Amino acid sequence: MITVRSKQYKELPISIISSVAFLTLIGLVVLKSISQHQGGGLLNNPFNKQIIILLPAIILSLLIIILPRYTIHKYSYPLYFFGIIIVLLPFAGSSHANTYRWLDLGLPFNIQPSEFAKVFTTIALARYLSDHTIQIKKFHSIIIPIGFVLIPSFIVMKQPDLGTAIVMLVPVLPMLYWSGARPFYLFLVIAPIFSMLTAFQTISFTIWAVTLGTIIILARQTVIMSILLFFGNVFLGLISPFAWNSLSYYQQGRILSFLNPEKDPLGVAYQVIQSKTAIGSGGIFGKGWGEGTQTHLKFLPVQESDFILSVIGEEMGFVLIAMVLSVMGYFIIQILKRAYLSKDKFSSLSLIGVASIMLAHSFVNTAMTVGLIPVKGLPFPFISAGGSFLITSYIMVGLVINLSVNYSD
Amino acid sequence: MLKADNIASIQQYFLAVGIAVCLILVLVVRFFQLQILDYDQYSKKANTNRIRKVTTSAPRGLILDRNGQILVDNLPTYIINAVPGELPDRNSTLSLISKTIGVDPSSLHKNYKKYYRGRFIPTRLAKDLTFSQISRLEENRLNLKGVYYQKFPERYFPSSVRASHILGYVKEVDKQIRESLTNPSEYEFGDIIGWSGLEKSYEDYLKGSHGVQFYQVDAYGREVGYVDDFPPISPEPGSNIITTIDMNIQYSLEEIMKGERGVVIVGIPESGEILGVVSKPDFPPDLFTGRILERDWNIVSNNPNKPLLNRFNQGLYPPGSIVKMITEAVLLENEDFDPHALLTCEGSYQYGDRVFGCWADEGHGNVDLTSAILQSCDIYFYKTIQYYELDRLAKYFRLFGFGQITGIDIGREYKGTIPNTAYMNKRYGRSGWSTGSLLNFCIGQGEILVTPIQVFHYTNLLATKGTANTPHLVSSIKKESENKIPLAPQIWDRITFDMGQVVSHSKGTGKNADPSIQGVDVYGKTGTAENPHGEDHAWFVGWVQYKERKVSIVVLLENSGSGGAVAAPLAKNVFNKIILGIKNSNQSL
Repeated sequence: MITVRSKQYKELPISIISSVAFLTLIGLVVLKSISQHQGGGLLNNPFNKQIIILLPAIILSLLIIILPRYTIHKYSYPLYFFGIIIVLLPFAGSSHANTYRWLDLGLPFNIQPSEFAKVFTTIALARYLSDHTIQIKKFHSIIIPIGFVLIPSFIVMKQPDLGTAIVMLVPVLPMLYWSGARPFYLFLVIAPIFSMLTAFQTISFTIWAVTLGTIIILARQTVIMSILLFFGNVFLGLISPFAWNSLSYYQQGRILSFLNPEKDPLGVAYQVIQSKTAIGSGGIFGKGWGEGTQTHLKFLPVQESDFILSVIGEEMGFVLIAMVLSVMGYFIIQILKRAYLSKDKFSSLSLIGVASIMLAHSFVNTAMTVGLIPVKGLPFPFISAGGSFLITSYIMVGLVINLSVNYSD
Repeated sequence: MLKADNIASIQQYFLAVGIAVCLILVLVVRFFQLQILDYDQYSKKANTNRIRKVTTSAPRGLILDRNGQILVDNLPTYIINAVPGELPDRNSTLSLISKTIGVDPSSLHKNYKKYYRGRFIPTRLAKDLTFSQISRLEENRLNLKGVYYQKFPERYFPSSVRASHILGYVKEVDKQIRESLTNPSEYEFGDIIGWSGLEKSYEDYLKGSHGVQFYQVDAYGREVGYVDDFPPISPEPGSNIITTIDMNIQYSLEEIMKGERGVVIVGIPESGEILGVVSKPDFPPDLFTGRILERDWNIVSNNPNKPLLNRFNQGLYPPGSIVKMITEAVLLENEDFDPHALLTCEGSYQYGDRVFGCWADEGHGNVDLTSAILQSCDIYFYKTIQYYELDRLAKYFRLFGFGQITGIDIGREYKGTIPNTAYMNKRYGRSGWSTGSLLNFCIGQGEILVTPIQVFHYTNLLATKGTANTPHLVSSIKKESENKIPLAPQIWDRITFDMGQVVSHSKGTGKNADPSIQGVDVYGKTGTAENPHGEDHAWFVGWVQYKERKVSIVVLLENSGSGGAVAAPLAKNVFNKIILGIKNSNQSL
């Protein structure tokens, strides 16, 4: 079976494999540097841990590559429900630092089910959007797919894991757009978010209200519809300060410290300041492997996962950072290219979903380390240490390779 | 199953690629900004982040007397600090410390609040701890995570003399002090700085310079080693200063002045060296070291006799008759003046519409210049000085050092007041005063105000015929003697002779100052200064000559009566001690 199908490959996805190999290798090099001064058991050392997890990750990836595409299609809904169940499971166990993100299966490390649920949800959504002859130009037809991802996302937000919950939502809009939804409707979906975010400042809210009004007029809706949309959003903006108070304290803190990082130098903002210092002091070529003072003197927080790019920036400089980002960009564009060239809609949409997740993780993680967005505990694909997400990433690579092959028949 | 065809358009593809490229570009640009444009800024920040500068304080120089005996020493004490971020539980740690070293827990909490400057900055909890207290602390080391101690030399006064006004005191540099300094970079918070007396004026010699060590620290503030590129700088101890003070003389003066209120200064006229000086009441020298109780401090600071006031350079007094030698000099400068002419003193003298009295109500009868000096007759000077300008008298007062600072090497000296025409016009208006004021000034009364140290310099000038050096307390000062007072030698001789008569003549007001020792000559002048604060101030100025050596003295006793009756006997007491000292040891002077 396998040999037969392998002949059907038009090309070996060298570009995908080499990108992933490069990023994984860089990750290992950096983790080795961080691990230099870490004693303790085998698994306390992030480098060893990464190596050990890479093994099942690659095996899973290969398994997915040889999996028949229709099997993936067929089981996408059951997997979606399986995903919802596994993100609910941690609530049955005991909490880790007041969160219910991890599942303890008796393995030497815990599993974060929301990472897997992320992929399952994307595939299920791809199936929904490709199966249904939905009238994608109608507004109500984009509501169901959004509700589709909101369910697992809401559970994850309750774990609470704001970062993963947001990333879980991210693929919806690109996938809807890809399947032909009217951009104005997609705009209407994100409009309330802007209304809420801008409401905390008079000037930004004014600018947003003008933009919103202009777009609504340009979209040529009926008068009543336009008025409803406009004032609905304005009203939402007005009540959002009250909604703000319902956020948990650490979520508020993260947003606040982003707006004014100098305010609390030893809190969350402290991490951003230390990260920027590490990166900035690296310069063009960096301080050299294992020579990063900010890294090795532990000024840099969560350096093996959330802030691993800061270590690269400090020790290897702008040159390597630019390479890492370029390779990641190249990798994402390769997936997009395959999505465009794909002949069936399910594969195409799944690839768009994977590309969105990859881009969201890369962008959020990197933008956070350089202080462009609030601190979100999201790892950088293939480089950051972190078992569940590394495995998920390799699962996605398997999916990309599998789905990007066009059968000759 | 996979029946639906992909219908994505090329525009959708380009938009998706465009978004991805844009987002990645934003990140690359941001890294470019941080790593290339702002490199210098972050590089500097990374260095200060990892390097902790720890200063080690230099031991302060000692203050010695002229024979090398220690007046001010350093006592090794200890302070304990806590790093707030390393304390597992502040309350339990502080109560354990309080139990271990026997210090009130509330004072630990108070200090913690006062010195707290950041989570990873050592915060002082207690100071002035002894070695044994630290040893007990060390036994509990394991339960006191985040608590450290360090040596902290405190000023200590091993000798029996107080000399509190001369030696002065030190303060701990805090934010307010540091901001007031002209060289704040040389001090760190918690350093000690000379704040008064010699501690202040010789601060630059005494303080030494900090040692600096650079430790590499991790994000928790833990030291993980030295920094290779920044070698440690060892502290340079402050220099010792040798004062002109003779500890024995200083001790005698303090004993003699016990219970008195006033000043006594003893020194060497030619050089201006001060052998001993006492301003009473005074205070224990360790009042400011922090080892004494707040109760004692309140007693001193609330005392109506102002023990903290340094009377010898900040006390302003009317000089009374001790300045009559200046009037004498003015008179003798006039070639037409006949010092042998006799004038009659009837006890009072009418000038214009005012009556001026002599201190002796019954009068001195017929007096010439010498007997006017030795009996301190006021009428003689009223009658002679009225033909002179006020400004001429004022000029001579200034020649003898009044109305200006002497330049003694101890701070905050007052200038006093020597009225001249301009001063009187300004104060009373052109027609608001008359030549009658001159009559008051010539006997050292009226608006004239002087400090005891000015009087000391004046006495030295008389004793050296105008060649005395500036009064000082630290021996290294050497200046060429120069005569700034243009008086003919015969005038100096006459003044010296007259001052000898004050003590040796049977009618002399200063005869109580004569120690009557073979081979010892004493010269002097008494003063009884009327003042608005009650009883007269008693003055005695003069010097003793034994072989080639001269020792000058100024005695001022506040509100205690006449100079001849009160100040002169005290001067005699001092002379006795000094002569005894010279005879006992040839090295002591």
